[in-house]
Amino acid sequence: MEFKDYYEVLGVKRDATADEIKKSYRKLARKYHPDLSKEPDAEARMKELNEAHAVLSDPEKRAAYDNVGKGFQAGQEFRPPPNWDAGFEFTGGGFSGAEGADFSDFFSELFGGRAGGMGGGMGGRAGRARQSYQARGEDHHAKIELELEDAYRGATRTITLQVPQINDQGRVQVVPRTLDVRIPKGVREGQMIRLSGQGGPGYGGGPAGDLFLEVHFKPHERYRVEERDVYETLPISPWEAALGAQIKAPLPDGTVEVRIPEGSQTGRKLRLRGRGIPGDPPGDLYLVLEVAVPPADTPKARELYERMASELAFNPRKHLGV
Amino acid sequence: MAREYIAVSIEQSPLTLDEVIVSCRVTREWVVEHVHAGVLLSETPQPPEQWRFSSRDLARVRRILELESRFDANPELAGLVADLFDELERLRARVRRAEEE
Repeated sequence: MEFKDYYEVLGVKRDATADEIKKSYRKLARKYHPDLSKEPDAEARMKELNEAHAVLSDPEKRAAYDNVGKGFQAGQEFRPPPNWDAGFEFTGGGFSGAEGADFSDFFSELFGGRAGGMGGGMGGRAGRARQSYQARGEDHHAKIELELEDAYRGATRTITLQVPQINDQGRVQVVPRTLDVRIPKGVREGQMIRLSGQGGPGYGGGPAGDLFLEVHFKPHERYRVEERDVYETLPISPWEAALGAQIKAPLPDGTVEVRIPEGSQTGRKLRLRGRGIPGDPPGDLYLVLEVAVPPADTPKARELYERMASELAFNPRKHLGV
Repeated sequence: MAREYIAVSIEQSPLTLDEVIVSCRVTREWVVEHVHAGVLLSETPQPPEQWRFSSRDLARVRRILELESRFDANPELAGLVADLFDELERLRARVRRAEEE
């Protein structure tokens, strides 16, 4: 395990005041905020910052960290000596078990079993807490990426989560957990779905928390989603556009016959009511027409284009005055 | 065969005030203060036991909590930043659409 220099992460000196630590954390939290930052490693940096801040902003954890880390440099091989924390009592909160899942092994090794605030306000070692507390487990939050078609039909997806668990020594360890989830039909982008009892384990025989999954759709080459409505670009030939036609269009839930109105142009939208994402009410599906021009790659095709040019007298730039 | 867990959409079964308190590890006073400040929930029937929280509301609670704990923002400022993030997301989606077309 590598030693983490939390002072270096926050860019402060080892004798920095609490105010200096707070200021530096805020400045960097703004710089690396995952929703705004253009830095490629913003999310990882934000996790590091949160971890460093969780330790250095808590006077007890900071004192214990300073004590155990004397003489160590960032990246150096590190193993805390037995009873390294003798004489320290961690009572403050400041992070939860769910947040702790984002923290490093280094953090879990030092503070994992002493996470004040874990389990909704428990203090002290988790092992000790088990004897006197009964509390519901924490709700966990994660994101899940689905295909658009899953929203039409519902789907079963296997997901793997990193879950903090308390081991026999009363310490928190992050372990992978895989579960098969039945996704309901009609889910939307950004919507949350809930798995009852699949969050953090309960304490002292209390019930487990719930798992909340935030749904996101993978980008699709043919479909675009807006709330419940779905947009699909549908290529049509120039003669289908000009003369009108009855054609087949593929949809996420099958194929449909649509009538292309005579005189259609690229960009025209045909609305298929109720064929968007299912629900109450369901969304609509919009076919956005795109006229595809056949290549003039044979003498016959060239002849046809030349005939059109001479016989149709069509100027698509007439309205531009040229 | 592995057990299959059934997920329920929040829109089918919105969260109550008590569920939000537990899920986001906040106090009742915190939620009430933010609802009264106008930064959470657009519809607030009385009593608060009738409040219902959608996916968007739940995400907003978590975002506002994060802003307050990271930057010591007050409820109004955190609400304003959350609004700006929503607007940013909407505009980014528009840019993505325009780039695709």
